[in-house]
Amino acid sequence: MNSPTSAIQIENLSYAYGRAEAVRDLSLTVQPGRCYGLFGRNGAGKTTTMKCLLNLLRPQRGQVRIFGLDPTKEEVAVKRLLSYVPDQVAFYPWMSVRETLDYLASFRPHWNRKTEQELFEHFGLDPAQRAGSLSKGQRTQVALIAAVCPETDLLVLDEPTSGLDPIVRREFIETVIGAYQEGIPGKRTILVSTHLITEFEGLIDQFTIIDRGQAVLTLDSDQARERYQRIRARFAQSPPELDLKAALHVRRDGRELELIANGAGLELLEHLRQHNPEALSTESLTLEEIFVAILKS
Amino acid sequence: MILRINFKSGMPIYLQLVDQIKTAAASGALRPGEALPSIRPLAEELRVNRNTVAKAYTELESLGVIETLPGRGCFLKENHSALRKEIRRKLLTVEIDQAIVQAHHLQVPREEFLELIHERMHVLADKRRANEDYKKKEV
Repeated sequence: MNSPTSAIQIENLSYAYGRAEAVRDLSLTVQPGRCYGLFGRNGAGKTTTMKCLLNLLRPQRGQVRIFGLDPTKEEVAVKRLLSYVPDQVAFYPWMSVRETLDYLASFRPHWNRKTEQELFEHFGLDPAQRAGSLSKGQRTQVALIAAVCPETDLLVLDEPTSGLDPIVRREFIETVIGAYQEGIPGKRTILVSTHLITEFEGLIDQFTIIDRGQAVLTLDSDQARERYQRIRARFAQSPPELDLKAALHVRRDGRELELIANGAGLELLEHLRQHNPEALSTESLTLEEIFVAILKS
Repeated sequence: MILRINFKSGMPIYLQLVDQIKTAAASGALRPGEALPSIRPLAEELRVNRNTVAKAYTELESLGVIETLPGRGCFLKENHSALRKEIRRKLLTVEIDQAIVQAHHLQVPREEFLELIHERMHVLADKRRANEDYKKKEV
């Protein structure tokens, strides 16, 4: 282990369902206080990875550590340190919302009643409503309240906003920023898996893109946006033959040229400039565009 | 003061905030002694990490643009040039050089470039004056 204080340490994790490999030799490290994104398509291995962190699945190879603890050996201690919003939220349908939260709070040594009250009002939830009759959005809101109020050091969110309407999604993220990141800066850690990357763009400090169970790219968000650039050039005549091997993608359309640069943006820009383009512009890719560019290449 | 984040600019988010607050201070949109938005509501509104906002404020504080009063928040400094004159000139030189390089690539000739600088200084001065007039009326 390179740092005993890592919030999450995954080393060479592999897991297969029968012969279908879901996660293959995955390694990643999340430092405390960071908001870490796990990006992947449906079936890329995100949920399997998260289940190994939560000891819902046992790693078949490799290991995972939460604040240095092994979830398979110290399950209770690990569960005390984290809270979790799953992709499919399920409650006992006969319980009211109030009873559901009291039930979940009973497992926790600490529960912030003030935050609970604020979020209840903010979301406009009815404490007397039966959990079985909640909408998908409301179920997620109740699950978020239950995940935020124990104020654990680690919050794990598995595809939390998929299938929700845009308003609920927005409120969800604002809640995570506002209520969860409260307190000592650099203390609370978030791991979020999603394919709805745009909404989490501002929140995510660092991310790993996984594809078919393997880590494809791990980067700091600011560095990623600096590295991946879209360059557009328009020439007076059809574009000259250029050496564009440094580009990740090249698209030609008549007199126009569009490149995706990976780290070599400045050189490519200078190279294009030498051929006197009529117009030349550059912009960063968003994290979602980086995700698409990587998985399509 | 309304802040906006552009994920396509290629500039780190905290630096975008630093720049926009500096611009607001230069144009008078933010006046000396005025409070900056608190970290939590600003982070929620922009939907960015709170650490990012905190990092921007720390940077502004180390540049001497703002000051933090414990328990009360961050405020624009009355005289926000804590840096020595030569350092201020040096910092500015870097920015000017970038603009000159950009002007060269965009084929803006020297005279036109200098004219543009005068023009922009007038625009900012006008903005500042308008903001000051508005402040007087408020009082």
